Amino acid sequence: MISLTYKFTVVMADCPHTIGVEFGTRIIEVCGQKIKLQIWDTAGQERFRAVTRSYYRGAAGALMVYDITRRSTYNHLSSWLTDTRNLTNPSTVIFLIGNKCDLEGQRDVTYEEAKQFAEENGLMFVEASAKTGSNVEDAFLETATRIYQSIQDGRLDLNAAESGVQHKPSQPGRNLSNDLHQKDNCPC
Amino acid sequence: MYATKQPSLRIKQADLKCKNGCGYYGNPDWGGYCSKCYRSSMEKDRHHRKSDHSRSPVPGFSKFEEKKRQQTDKKSKYLSFAPVVFRRTSAAKDVGRPERHHEPRHTNPEMEKLELEYMSTYIHLGRHVRDDFFKFVKFFNVNIRNEMNSRPIEEVAVVAQKYYNFFANRINSHEIYSKMEQETKDHLIDFFEKFSMTTLYSILFCPHTTNDEEKDLAIQRRIRQLSWVNAHHLDCCISETSMEVRDLVYAAITHLLGMDSVKAPQEKLSYVVRCCQSVVEVLRHCQGGPVSADEFLPALIFVVLKANPARLKSNILYVTRFCNDARLMQGEGGYYFTNLCCAVSFIENLTAESLNMSEEEFQGYMTGTITSVSAWESALVACEGMHQLCEHLAELKGLSERMDSVQEGTLNLRETMEAFKKEINAKVIEIRESTPLIIKPRKIPISLDKQDSNAANLPSPLAPTVVNSSSILSEQSEPITIPITIDTVADETDETTTQTHFYTQNLATQELNLMDSKKGKLQLDITPCLPTETLKQSQSNELLAYDTQSLDGFITPDDGSLLGLSNINYDIDLSDLSADNSVADELTPEKKKSPNFMVDPFSPLSGPCNISQSPLIPSSATDAPIASSSTSRELTNDNFVLPFKTEDSSLLNTQGNASIVHLPSPIKPHTPHYSGFSMQGVQIPSIPCNTGDYSSLNLVQQRESEATTSGIGDNSKKEENKSNEKVVKVLGGVLDTIDKLF
Repeated sequence: MISLTYKFTVVMADCPHTIGVEFGTRIIEVCGQKIKLQIWDTAGQERFRAVTRSYYRGAAGALMVYDITRRSTYNHLSSWLTDTRNLTNPSTVIFLIGNKCDLEGQRDVTYEEAKQFAEENGLMFVEASAKTGSNVEDAFLETATRIYQSIQDGRLDLNAAESGVQHKPSQPGRNLSNDLHQKDNCPC
Repeated sequence: MYATKQPSLRIKQADLKCKNGCGYYGNPDWGGYCSKCYRSSMEKDRHHRKSDHSRSPVPGFSKFEEKKRQQTDKKSKYLSFAPVVFRRTSAAKDVGRPERHHEPRHTNPEMEKLELEYMSTYIHLGRHVRDDFFKFVKFFNVNIRNEMNSRPIEEVAVVAQKYYNFFANRINSHEIYSKMEQETKDHLIDFFEKFSMTTLYSILFCPHTTNDEEKDLAIQRRIRQLSWVNAHHLDCCISETSMEVRDLVYAAITHLLGMDSVKAPQEKLSYVVRCCQSVVEVLRHCQGGPVSADEFLPALIFVVLKANPARLKSNILYVTRFCNDARLMQGEGGYYFTNLCCAVSFIENLTAESLNMSEEEFQGYMTGTITSVSAWESALVACEGMHQLCEHLAELKGLSERMDSVQEGTLNLRETMEAFKKEINAKVIEIRESTPLIIKPRKIPISLDKQDSNAANLPSPLAPTVVNSSSILSEQSEPITIPITIDTVADETDETTTQTHFYTQNLATQELNLMDSKKGKLQLDITPCLPTETLKQSQSNELLAYDTQSLDGFITPDDGSLLGLSNINYDIDLSDLSADNSVADELTPEKKKSPNFMVDPFSPLSGPCNISQSPLIPSSATDAPIASSSTSRELTNDNFVLPFKTEDSSLLNTQGNASIVHLPSPIKPHTPHYSGFSMQGVQIPSIPCNTGDYSSLNLVQQRESEATTSGIGDNSKKEENKSNEKVVKVLGGVLDTIDKLF
């Protein structure tokens, strides 16, 4: 009967098509637990990197998205990662996502290369397509699960203001319609 | 200024580091310490002050005074630097406790409003909830105020957050609130924040102890410098020419500006949310698809640049500090507020690189050597121009409508005024016509004179006069006959001769009896008449001609007649031939019958007067028929006049005129009446007499007399005319003024 609200910060490094900015929440269920996800989109342009710090405040998880068809977006990952690491607490779950996996023909970054980078930095990694929707749901679900686990492990303090997780008695039926809406807004 | 006061607080570059010398940089908000050292120094300071305060409360107060002064100084000096801030915060620390006890102001109208809001929204929660709520609000209020006096704003913010949490926990756990719905609880928590923050707004927003205001001015200046930045520079796809987009951008700007107009942090946040939603709307319009942060942030930056909101930094800091953290870190409000913070910080740190342009170009823009006329600006200008045009057109339309109505009103007014004018003119004419009728009653005094004279002197002649009055009809018919008789010279002459004889005798006796030269002259005047009549019947025609020739004489004689008895006599004679004749006839028979008797009545002074008066009576009677026969009068006049002229050739006449002036004094009142009536009838005859004989001499005198007398007679008419003229003038003036007005 407890719902947790996770705040995700989604960084789409120089990826022109990202999750819609229209504010939405998504409710998923992890281990029989309703979890409300809040997704904050951030501007991924390099020139905004310095000013997007406040997005990380209180984020329970971060999704870093790059475009597998454009190498430049991948190259910027390290600097974004540095920021994310510096501005979030250690228990924040960071997920690396290679977007546009449907465009296999135009691939510029190999799966292996990205996988290696993720392992080196202790990130979770998956290739997904916002256009087809493959693996998108999985990415969110996986992240939510990891956060939930870290809460269970006691690594994430629910009472800390910066945890990005709010613990509330359940409020059933809240903004469920938003959920579907959010999905439709992923045009990539 | 500050340096002279406290030179020790001057700060060099090195002082930007933590005052403790720990190597880290200090922060102005923390009194120049780094965060660690600041906290420890605060602790120390607090301990120190405690003991210090217990010893001497007065110095603490003086310090407070000093701080106040510094604050006011700072207020006036926007460009003060870090040293000031450092000192100020340290001064804030020094503030003694004496200042602490502020009573929350309950007279605040906003507070009453909020209480009302509570009453209307949450009254159903019951008394316990209300009491607890307001108790906690007061507790919070007092505590925050106390904290403000002793701590920097950041710490107060932390305390406030603690209180928020505390209250939230209390609501969620306390039994008083147990019956409430979760949603109501959330609302109540929000309302608590709103209530307390609104009441504390004045001390928590842009507090004296910070340099928020300077930051506001700095960002404002910065945005002004960057006014040349357009959507193109920011790579945001706002189509500046679309009307809808422009309206949406305006809406976003309006919402952003509205942030400064509310007090509670959540209200400010709601304005930010509205602004951002408008921006999202703009982007949706421009690119058609879903909007991502990549487009949103530049667009928001663009809006902030164009809006340049007042006290932007203060608002952001205030919300950051005192908005419930839980809200600020999640939800729509939190997200958009974060975006706003990012936009502001982007603007603050904007460089040539961030705009994708060369350094030279950037500097050129910043220094104004390069000016860009962006489509947006020109569109804005055009739009503004159009707006103004439309407004002006609407205004003009309204004005023209008003003009029309006013003109209609003026036309109506003019019509009514003209109608009024006509009416007045008609009335004036009417009155003019009617006035002669009114004046007629003046005849009465004449009759009174008759009565007086008759009663006093000649009772016997009165009887015959009565007979005459009874036989007025016959008299009236007579005048017509008389001129005819005049034509027949012989008869008249005979009669006149008899009359003259009679008069002469009387006059002679009068002359003897009465030494008054005036009377004698009168008699003289009369006496000559007799021969003249006989001599010059033919002359009468000439005289008539003469009279008509000298129009001036017409006017003048009236006045002259007023003064001179002789004239009066003539008037009488002229006016009523019938009457004169009748009188003469009457007199003649009487005189004939008893000349001796006649002498007696004439012997007294009144005698001659009687004569003069008796003719007057007929004149008055004749006034009415005047119009009917002016020619007849003239003729008659001539008859009487002729004798005059002949005699007047001598100096005596002139003397007589002068004497006449003296004599008629009692009669004067009568004459003005005559003149007043109808100038022509009475005056005409008199004029010729004088003018005919001694046209030059008499005219001068008469005119002189006229000058005085005409004043009276003419004045009445002139006054009428003047009054008419005045009315017309006034009306004309009113019309003119109205014309001028419109």
